[in-house]
Amino acid sequence: MDELRTLYRYRQLIAALTSRDLKARYRGSVLGFFWSLANPLMLLTVYTLVFTRFFPRHDISLYPLFLFAGILPWSFFSAAVLESTNAISGNAGLIKKVMFPAEALPIVVVLSHLVHFVLALPVLLVAMAWFALRHEFIFTPAIFLTPVLMLFQTVFVAGVALIVSSACVLFRDLRDLVANMMQLAFFLTPIIYSMTAVDSQWMRALLHLNPMTPFVLAYQDIFYFGHMPGTWNAGLIVVYTLVSSVLGFGVFERLRDTLAEAI
Amino acid sequence: MSKSYRLWGRRSQFATLKSALLKRDVRPAPESSVAALHNVTFSVDRGESFGIVGRNGSGKSTLLKLVSGILKPTSGSIAVNGRIAALIELGAGFHPEISGRENIYINGIMLGLSRREIDSRFNKIVDFAGIGEFLDQPVKTYSSGMYVRLGFAVAVHVDPDILLIDEVLSVGDEEFSQKCIAKIQEMKYRGVTLLFVTHQLDQVRKLCDRALWLDHGEAAGLGDPVRVVDEYLQLVSVSAPGAAIPQVHHPEPPTAAVGIEEPEEVEASDLLEEERWGSGEAILRRVSLVDADGRELVALGAGVGVTVEMDVEVRAPQADFVFGIGFYHADGSCVYGTNTDIEGLQSDSLAGGGKVRFAMPSLDLVAGSYRIDAAIHTRNGRAFDYRRGVIRFVVGSRVNDIGVYRPRHDWSFEGGIHFKPIDNLSRNVPAPMAEYIKESEANQPPEASNKRRRKREER
Repeated sequence: MDELRTLYRYRQLIAALTSRDLKARYRGSVLGFFWSLANPLMLLTVYTLVFTRFFPRHDISLYPLFLFAGILPWSFFSAAVLESTNAISGNAGLIKKVMFPAEALPIVVVLSHLVHFVLALPVLLVAMAWFALRHEFIFTPAIFLTPVLMLFQTVFVAGVALIVSSACVLFRDLRDLVANMMQLAFFLTPIIYSMTAVDSQWMRALLHLNPMTPFVLAYQDIFYFGHMPGTWNAGLIVVYTLVSSVLGFGVFERLRDTLAEAI
Repeated sequence: MSKSYRLWGRRSQFATLKSALLKRDVRPAPESSVAALHNVTFSVDRGESFGIVGRNGSGKSTLLKLVSGILKPTSGSIAVNGRIAALIELGAGFHPEISGRENIYINGIMLGLSRREIDSRFNKIVDFAGIGEFLDQPVKTYSSGMYVRLGFAVAVHVDPDILLIDEVLSVGDEEFSQKCIAKIQEMKYRGVTLLFVTHQLDQVRKLCDRALWLDHGEAAGLGDPVRVVDEYLQLVSVSAPGAAIPQVHHPEPPTAAVGIEEPEEVEASDLLEEERWGSGEAILRRVSLVDADGRELVALGAGVGVTVEMDVEVRAPQADFVFGIGFYHADGSCVYGTNTDIEGLQSDSLAGGGKVRFAMPSLDLVAGSYRIDAAIHTRNGRAFDYRRGVIRFVVGSRVNDIGVYRPRHDWSFEGGIHFKPIDNLSRNVPAPMAEYIKESEANQPPEASNKRRRKREER
């Protein structure tokens, strides 16, 4: 609770740092913000080509839309977590020289990637509208669940980012470990394949142990299938979000005092 | 309080990862830590200026970081009341890619201001920093001087209750450092508590009310800034030729190493007794204040000619020496100070004994108590003999004018401005008192007044 109060107290700081982050990132680049779309779009193109031309799949219609629905939330998660490995260690000046709430740094990383995510959504909506015009997709009210789902995902990602950012200061190896795990986790999340294609009971259980699975499934429910996420899935989302945020703040609180020295 | 840093070697890091995983404990093991500060205890009162001196690595910056809350003490506690602004590194939070304007906002918010508070101070900050047309340029295009000025400008406009300054006054050009010092002095007058670390010992002497000398993480001296700085200089000069660890014995046991100090006591005794320190190669055996006839004075009237005489005894001949004199008011403020170095006298040789006379044709002071500090020291300020408050004297006057300096003056009036004629008696006496004196003189028979005069002579 105290941690939340701290975050609230520093809301202006967090907002200012987030906007600074976004401004600084694209200052001087011609395409600016579109670079943040480049990575998901490239993934989208590559996987669409591979699975519609080279190894055509027949179990998923509108494969690009399916892929897009999963890739966007995944990019949010992976980019935010990867960047948070450096969120604190890369700001040694602040931590060592200024009286500064260290937790703001990973939160700022998460929020700026959330902004990227939000800005990418119109592209997804355009794709959905295009398929809707061709009567291959129907818009449903489920789409209004998006903000709620994004809120849960943001809290979940923030929890992970808090752990990763603080632990990376003490254990430098963690950075490379996280980068490699992220590659593995991408394939352990039903993004390029559908959950229904997994026939082994054990494999499904394993996939559900991956906390990103229920999130991606829910986004696919909303953006691709056009129906509400299942209760079982929604329950998992709530549980993973709670565990991640409690653990995140817990670990951070424990490591906080050592950060300024160890950095 | 104490502070230990863990040592970050490859082995100890591996050990912590292992122990973190196995024991879920990331606290440093005692054998892998180094004490940066050991049992340092002190308190700083509201509005006080407190200097911290010591060699590199003696724990000064660590101390400031502990006070600011950036670091946590390993043992002991720190209590701070009020808003802190820490100038540990100027412009530490600046982002190079964004404009000065945006950085002012972000830096201000980091230091605890709200957006609205920054709005209201924005122009003052820009003025102080003097960055002018560069305001909307990215900070990466700034010169290092502009960068630092902007950082300082933001930090001092936070209106902190406590300002921590770490060695930042030495950056920037001469003009800017003057400006910084002026600003700091202004903050001091407004009652801001100052804690500062510096190697510019002059600043400690000038700006601080008290000073702490840290040596290898321990408090080696605490109290009067001039005395503490001098003790520090003594040690540095002794240990400078030989690179080994200093083996000098302290003039007095460190007062602040253990337990709680009572600053009031120190200050009270400070006012009454002479303090004396120095390395003793040359000493001021006797210092006296005499009039034109060579008589020693403890009380004098305004505008009297006086001379400060110093009997110098030399135990080891010196080539580098400076004589200094300082007049202080009883409230501690400096009335006047000078030394032979300031006045361009270059020392040549000092051997055998001698006498120094500092003559003033007229000491134009307002009524009050004063003290004189006399010293002989090297050009860089290391004292051979420093006698603080060696002379105490009182200036009496029948006029209740105010201040410390009483210039010779005369009133004259022309045109339609008239005062009643005055005689010698009522000159320099407020009008009601003059009337009273005149009346009593007139009413008294001449013998009585003669008697009175005689009595005075007997005394």
